[in-house]
Amino acid sequence: MHPTTLILSSSLILVIAILIYPLLTTLNPKLQNQKWAITHVKSSVKTAFLVSLLPLVIFLDQGTETIVTNWHWMNTALFDINISFKFDHYSIIFTPIALYVTWSILEFASWYMHSDPLMNRFFKYLLLFLVAMVLLVSANNMFQLFIGWEGVGIMSFLLIGWWYGRADANTAALQAVLYNRVGDIGLIMAMAWLAMNLNSWEIQQIFFLSKNFNMTLPLLGLILAATGKSAQFGLHPWLPSAMEGPTPVSALLHSSTMVVAGIFLLIRLHPLMENNDVALTTCLCLGALTTLFTAACALTQNDIKKIVAFSTSSQLGLMMVTIGLNQPQLAFLHICTHAFFKAMLFLCSGSIIHSLNDEQDIRKMGGLQNLMPMTSTCLTIGSLALTGTPFLAGFFSKDAIIEALNTSHLNAWALILTLIATSFTAVYSFRVVYFVTMGTPRFLPLSPINENNPSVINPIKRLAWGSIIAGLIITSNFLPSKTPIMSMPLTLKLAALLVTIIGLLTALELTAMTNKQFKITPTIPIHHFSNMLGYFPAIIHRLTPKLNLTLGQSIATQLVDQTWFEATGPKGVSSLQVKMAKSVSDAQQGMIKTYLTIFLLTTTIAIFLAMI
Amino acid sequence: MTPVHFSFSSAFILGLMGLTFHRTHLLSALLCLEGMMLSLFIALALWTLQFEMTGFSAAPMLLLAFSACEASAGLALLVATARTHGTDRLQNLNLLQC
Repeated sequence: MHPTTLILSSSLILVIAILIYPLLTTLNPKLQNQKWAITHVKSSVKTAFLVSLLPLVIFLDQGTETIVTNWHWMNTALFDINISFKFDHYSIIFTPIALYVTWSILEFASWYMHSDPLMNRFFKYLLLFLVAMVLLVSANNMFQLFIGWEGVGIMSFLLIGWWYGRADANTAALQAVLYNRVGDIGLIMAMAWLAMNLNSWEIQQIFFLSKNFNMTLPLLGLILAATGKSAQFGLHPWLPSAMEGPTPVSALLHSSTMVVAGIFLLIRLHPLMENNDVALTTCLCLGALTTLFTAACALTQNDIKKIVAFSTSSQLGLMMVTIGLNQPQLAFLHICTHAFFKAMLFLCSGSIIHSLNDEQDIRKMGGLQNLMPMTSTCLTIGSLALTGTPFLAGFFSKDAIIEALNTSHLNAWALILTLIATSFTAVYSFRVVYFVTMGTPRFLPLSPINENNPSVINPIKRLAWGSIIAGLIITSNFLPSKTPIMSMPLTLKLAALLVTIIGLLTALELTAMTNKQFKITPTIPIHHFSNMLGYFPAIIHRLTPKLNLTLGQSIATQLVDQTWFEATGPKGVSSLQVKMAKSVSDAQQGMIKTYLTIFLLTTTIAIFLAMI
Repeated sequence: MTPVHFSFSSAFILGLMGLTFHRTHLLSALLCLEGMMLSLFIALALWTLQFEMTGFSAAPMLLLAFSACEASAGLALLVATARTHGTDRLQNLNLLQC
């Protein structure tokens, strides 16, 4: 067998085996060592990352992709389900990046959670999540993808509710599960449609056969699934609530890996969507609405983790817009670059939170530039990468997306919304940096500020390197399959940069106004709209359950009890009979013999007449 | 009129006379009702034979089924009368007579 394919397939299966091994050691009833989390989990993720670099390099050199089909799992007479892994361009690039980010996060978590007695369990949950995510991105059929999908959903629930003694954490975890479930309805509907009409869940067969069908219905199902998992508008409130979980969870699940699963699904199944205008327009408009709405909500939040969460949601909307533009590769590029700087932003926030003795309100931070220089520098680097500063990681993906949006002849409304959201990105990023690192300290003097532990600084430094050079490395090594439009007017070319600078200048002006009061009675409603997240959770979380429960109550009481039982069913029949009997019996006078005698006489005469 | 027609017609009229002029017991009225049903059964069976309509063969059976229902309803009324009035003698059923 050719050495290339042998090395490729075996190293990819080895990656998954390395990740699963620590989980198998926990099945042993004998007690593990106290440092199991560090010796087993972190080193396995690091090893898996190094091993996964080998297929990446092979793919870079020779462009080989592979599909590994292991085991014929089950079949009915006409339908097969196999275990098969597809390592194409998307999963070969995503797996090393996810493993690199996870390695850094696990090292950070060994510092962040070191005082937690259940730290080993925490690492086990994170590892289980990672395995589910790798299964999801490498799935070659919908069933395996669904296993990974549900796996990440459940691990998200367990990890958000890690501190389950806290009522807010429990409600946040429940919220995550419920919103994800609504999205899962779409995925299951799409899978059922595919099984019924295309008779297969294998991705290659779906691509081949879909040309003959009108794919609007399953595509809308898939978009619903992405809306749920990737927190698009309508099913978005779970993502900011998910910040109740520990910071490593927010960094891993809710910034780099799990929330991109929905977008990844759409990228993977993009050939189905290429010619379907309904699906593309839905993606475009939904993504544009999401990115603007969540960026607007991020403007007035005061919890540092919530701001970063809304920032994640806004970038996810941007990825959705890119899919709507028929550019799955750009969306994938943005997923990869976004993983680096978003995870780093979360890790910096975690370091700051721990250093200020669990303070998460940015109004009570300040002046950390001098007290935590490394962390605040990396925070600034991450924010710059997020806003798309030229030649950092975010620039290559974000600028390319905005250029593609500008030169397309699609929806102008989506374009305007995206540009406004880009300027908002600059505003809230600057707000975070200003409140956290600049100015004078607003926290208590006896805060245990310490960033000298290497397990804090090394992950953040690694991710900072990633945020700086990842965009350059990925774009220079992987050619786009769709030709980007290179020539456009200067204003369009600089549009992203211009709106970002406008946003930054506006934010600078606004910060200069923080200690002056221009209006005696400021206009509060706009602030309230943004701070209350557009009133969306406040309305929906009460209204939907109330409507459902009152519908159930009226069905049970009015329809079943009062109508079917009383008026039309058995009781109705009996009451009708009684009424009729009463009205008829009034007319009779009971002279039965007389009536029957007359009847007898008539019948006898009739028969005699018939005889003659 | 043929003798067969005469026989079931007269059976019907006799049963009807028994139903009309019942003197003592309600049960005897019900028995005459059964006799009328029997004569009608014979009449329907003769109809099938005389007109040679094989499709009509089920009609006597239908009549029999429904007459069974009606007989049971009558007996239920008899039992109800016996429960409330203590006997089925017709002299007792004069509560509503004006």
